[in-house]
Amino acid sequence: MSVRISKAIQGMAFFIASLHADQVMAAPDAVAGKAKAQVCAACHGETGVSALPGFPHLAAQPQLSIFYQLLQFRDQRRKGGGMEAIAATLSEQDMRDIAAHYASMPAPAPVAGGQPEKIARGQQIAQQQYCSSCHGAQLQGQKHVPRLSGQSSEYFVAQLRNLRSGARADMDGTMASAARSLTDEEIEAMAAYARSLP
Amino acid sequence: MKFNFAHQASQKAVLTLAMALSGLAMAQAPAAPAASAIPPTWAQGRTAEQAALNLVPHPPGMTALPAGDIPTDKLKVPAGFKAELWASGMPNARSMVQSPAGTLFVGTRFPGNVYAVVEKDGKREVKTIAKGLHRPNGVAFKDGSLYVAELSRIIRYDNIEANLDNPPAPVVVFDALPKDEAHGWKFMKLSPDGNYLYFQIGTPANITVQPVTHAVIVRLNLKTNILENVATGVRNSVGMDFHPVTKELWFTNNGRDWVNDDLPNDTLHRVTRKGMNFGYPFCHQGDLLDLEFGKGRSCEEFDKPVLKIGPHVAALGMRFYTGKQFPAEYKHNIFIAEHGSWNRTKKTGFDVVRVALDAKGNVTKKEVFVSGWIQGDDFWGRPADVHMMKDGSMLVSDDVAGAIFRISHSK
Repeated sequence: MSVRISKAIQGMAFFIASLHADQVMAAPDAVAGKAKAQVCAACHGETGVSALPGFPHLAAQPQLSIFYQLLQFRDQRRKGGGMEAIAATLSEQDMRDIAAHYASMPAPAPVAGGQPEKIARGQQIAQQQYCSSCHGAQLQGQKHVPRLSGQSSEYFVAQLRNLRSGARADMDGTMASAARSLTDEEIEAMAAYARSLP
Repeated sequence: MKFNFAHQASQKAVLTLAMALSGLAMAQAPAAPAASAIPPTWAQGRTAEQAALNLVPHPPGMTALPAGDIPTDKLKVPAGFKAELWASGMPNARSMVQSPAGTLFVGTRFPGNVYAVVEKDGKREVKTIAKGLHRPNGVAFKDGSLYVAELSRIIRYDNIEANLDNPPAPVVVFDALPKDEAHGWKFMKLSPDGNYLYFQIGTPANITVQPVTHAVIVRLNLKTNILENVATGVRNSVGMDFHPVTKELWFTNNGRDWVNDDLPNDTLHRVTRKGMNFGYPFCHQGDLLDLEFGKGRSCEEFDKPVLKIGPHVAALGMRFYTGKQFPAEYKHNIFIAEHGSWNRTKKTGFDVVRVALDAKGNVTKKEVFVSGWIQGDDFWGRPADVHMMKDGSMLVSDDVAGAIFRISHSK
C-alpha cells in the first residue's frame, strides 16, 4: 500500500506542477475535477467505487463532504491512508473540483447478500442512534455530512472505531458523542446495513 | 419527561448517582435494553413533523474566499455610510479584540486558528499566530497579553505583539471548564477594570435541564483565579459588552430551536444586579413557557430581556458604539451581528442590526444596519462579531467568507 501511495503522490505532484494556480476561485467544476482526480483513482477507483477493501467509495458523496475532508487532511486534523500528503499538494479549487467530480458519479451498488439479520440489527441501531438526523433518511449524506449508503464496510467500521477512540476527531464532536457507547458488534451491524442501502 | 443528557458533565453526574445507588440498583436492575441513544444536540426537542422539514444546521465556514471573490458590493449600509473589505484570508474569522497598539486579534471555532491583523507601512497583513487550538473562539487583551478562550480552558500569550511571527507557548490560565462540545465555544470579554474575564458556559443541548455549571455567564478573577456566576438561565450567549457609562454588562442570547418559525426570539439582556436568572430552560424570551420544561413554572419567576431581537436570527457579537465618526444619534447604540438562521423555513438574520437606547437604557429603536450577506435563500457570508475602531469606524467579521469588513461614515 505504501508503494501505491507514494506513486500517487509523485503522480499528483507532477500533475499539479502543470496546472496554473488560479487566484480567483471558480465554481466547483466536475469536468476539471475528473482530470484532477486521476491520481485518486489508484485507491478510490475510476468512478469513485474502490476495489480495495478498506478504502472509501467517493462516488455520489456530497461535494462539500469530500471538500471538507480534504481540507481536514491538508491541515492534518484528520490523518490516514497517506491522505495528508496528497491533500497538501492540492489547491482548494482542486479539492472543490475533485469533490464535484465524485459527487456527480453514480452511487456504489448496494451489497445486501446473505446477512438479513445483521442488516436488520444494523438498521435498528442506526435508528436508535439517530444517524438519519444528519446523514439523511437513506443515509445518502447531505451538505458537508458524508453519504454512508453503499459504503465499504471495512471503511465504515474503521472510521467509527477511530471516532470512538478519538483517533479521528470529527468536526464538532457529534460523532465522538454518538460513537462513544457503541460496541464492535453494533458498529459492524450498522456497517452491513449502510452497505445494503442504495 | 426525557432527559437529554448528551454531555459529559451530566453523564458524570449520572454515573456518580448510579454509583451511589449501586447497592440498591444492582440487585433489581432488569436486563439493560438496547442503549437508547441521544439525538445530535441540534436535533434535541425536534418533533416528527419538524423532522420532515429537513432543516439542519449550515455547514461551518471552513475556508476563506479569495479577496477577489468576496462580493463586498452586495453589502448595503444606510446613506452616508460605506462598506469595504478590510482583511481576508482568515478561515472562520469570528470574535475580535484589538490591542492599544492596534493589532487586531481574531478567534475561530473550527480551524483552531487565531489570527493577528497588523498594519505596517500602510499595508495590512494577516498572520496566523496559533493553530490546532480547540475552538479558540474567545479573545481578550490585557497588559500586552492575548487571552484566548478555548472550549474548556483559558490560555494566555504573553508579550504577543513583539512575537507575532514566533509566538511563545501559551500559559494555561484556567483549565477546569466543562468539555461539552455543544455551545462550548466561548465569547470572552475583559471587564472595564481589567480584573475579570467574562465568558459564557452554554447549555450542552438545544433544550435540556442543564447541570448548574451550564447555561451561565461567569467571570474569572485574574488575580485569584476564582470563577463565579454572573447570570444564570442563559441558554448561550456569544456576545457581550459593558455599557460605556454605567459599566453594566449587556449580552445577547440565542433562543432554543424547534418551537416554530417565529418563536422564541433571540434576546438582548442587561445585568443590573447579582443573581439574575433569565429563565432557561423553563421560560424563553421572558414570556414564553417551554412546552416541555415549563410545566408548573411561571415566567414571572425570572428576569426579563430588554429586547426580543428576532426568532432564530443567531444574535452573536454585540458592542456599544463608543466612537465619534458616526452621526450623533448613534452614540452608545448597540450593534449586533446576526449570524443568520438555520432552524426556520424562511431564512432570517444574516445582517448587523442597530439598537438605540434612551438615557435610562430602554430600547427605543431596532433596525437593520448592514445587510446583503444573503440573496433569496443563498448566503455567501455570515456576520459573527462587530468591533469598534479608534477612528470610530466599525469592523464586522464574517466566518463563512473568512473576512473582515469595515463600515465607515463620512459627512
